[in-house]
Amino acid sequence: MRTTESGIQDVVLEIDELCKAYTKGILVNDNISLSLRQGEIFGLLGPNGAGKTTLVNQIIGLVKPDSGRITLDGVDVITKPGYARQACSLQAQTQVPIAGLTTRQAIELVGRVRGGDTRSVRERALQLINQLEMEEWANKAAESFSGGMRRLVAFCMAVVVPGRIVILDEPTNDVDPLRRRLLWQQVRALIGMGSTVLLVTHNVLEAERAVDRLAIINNGRVVGVGTPGSLKENGDENIRFELVLEPRVDAPALPEFIQSTFVTGRRLVNRLAERDIAPAVQWARNLKERSIVEEFSIGPTTLEDVYVKVVGRADAQEMPENEVSHDTIAS
Amino acid sequence: MTQSLRSYGLMLKWQALSKKPILALTLVVQVMIATGFIFGLGFFYHEITPETARFITTGAPTIILMTVGLVLVPQMVAMARTEGTFDYIWSLPVPRLVYIAADATIWVLIALPGLVLALVIGAIHYNFGLEISPLVVPAVLLISAAGMFLGYSIAHGAPKPEMANLATQIIVFAIMLFSPVMYPIEQLPDWMAAIHRVLPVKYMADLTRVTLTDMDVNLGLAFGVVGAWCLAGFIITYALVRRRR
Repeated sequence: MRTTESGIQDVVLEIDELCKAYTKGILVNDNISLSLRQGEIFGLLGPNGAGKTTLVNQIIGLVKPDSGRITLDGVDVITKPGYARQACSLQAQTQVPIAGLTTRQAIELVGRVRGGDTRSVRERALQLINQLEMEEWANKAAESFSGGMRRLVAFCMAVVVPGRIVILDEPTNDVDPLRRRLLWQQVRALIGMGSTVLLVTHNVLEAERAVDRLAIINNGRVVGVGTPGSLKENGDENIRFELVLEPRVDAPALPEFIQSTFVTGRRLVNRLAERDIAPAVQWARNLKERSIVEEFSIGPTTLEDVYVKVVGRADAQEMPENEVSHDTIAS
Repeated sequence: MTQSLRSYGLMLKWQALSKKPILALTLVVQVMIATGFIFGLGFFYHEITPETARFITTGAPTIILMTVGLVLVPQMVAMARTEGTFDYIWSLPVPRLVYIAADATIWVLIALPGLVLALVIGAIHYNFGLEISPLVVPAVLLISAAGMFLGYSIAHGAPKPEMANLATQIIVFAIMLFSPVMYPIEQLPDWMAAIHRVLPVKYMADLTRVTLTDMDVNLGLAFGVVGAWCLAGFIITYALVRRRR
């Protein structure tokens, strides 16, 4: 185990200048450097195709980097991928082989494979099933489950005997909002069990509430690293100014002091400096009176705004409405 | 070693359970193939001589083991590759050969009932006695292992999973029609016979023939050639499952 330069927290996983191209000249991971500290939930955020899963596959030894280093507990896992598989437990994006298994069998088998003894694995499996409210499905054939329930089974398989690092690749995809809350509680509990969590997602709102630190990755490059708070404090224009237009109304031209961040349907999300709040409110009230704007709100910048700024507008416009629901995860 | 054995036991359980949904159907198909060969091939001949009957009956185990190793195994691997499940399996702390060994064990167990049934039906239907040597056990295990390692090599080595499916169809067609399994090698054209003196199929059939009847075949050569192909299949499989993208 190594320490950071500040010597405050232990570094569990260190990635140095990692590069990977599947096709010559097209870098999927472009000079990525990151470090995970013991006991933190570290988010890896980025749009589809940003290179997140490729990075995970290199950590776990499925993909070989072209250059760079990955060390886990000080061990070079590029030359010793077996160490990474012992130390990391993974919930992959791909399907887990659960044909013919019940929920309990699937979870218990992985627990045993990961070195747990029969009794403690059985107890832990039951505990997870209860805490994620999956009792009804405990003894049913997992193959027939819906996408969300399969994700939950895969999550349990990854955390039944958690590794030093638990890697969760889009763990909440297709999972219902109530169980998402329960799942995040289990993720947090992993820290108490001595694990470090690497959370891979494109769901910014979930990440903002779940992670301690995060890296935003786009086109294979790290474009921002820090706590959600530190990333949001970057810059002068740190106020989020949101307008919802009346139906079938064209977007109005923005005054110079308001910067457009992104547009989804009738929703315009903008940024402005604190000193410009009063004129912005005045401007929006005027639009409301003229039935151009249905409602508006002002608040501190969110991680979503930062994400959109660094990743780019095109991706933001593709974000579905449910991605911006504010009731998806436990705070 | 203890850890590998423990992993083998657990993967064996996992693989056995995962085959459960298709187990009954697979067993039925295996039995149908076995009995189909015994009875069906009889129709090819105007008159079944004791020699022909012996070829048909003792060739059936090779055909059965080859359909498992070179068709069923690659098809299942291709399906898992398409679904991406190997990314998950290879991320587990289980040596990859241990996983392959567990998978292969289950397939041998699935193939055995049909194999035994084919021999029993063949012996009864064509009315001749089997002379079973204890060497039949290593012979069947070696044929199974060689077939499966070649099957894994094709399935993991094919650039796309669908290509593996196509390749196995062609291979099994060639084995059934153009291989000296159900008939003597002398009935093939010289050039085809020459190829079969290098390929493992003839020697696999020789292994079952010599360990199930009193037929005079060079047992050492048969074990040697099939063993060499098995080793080659093992080395290729090992290299393929260890590689990183």
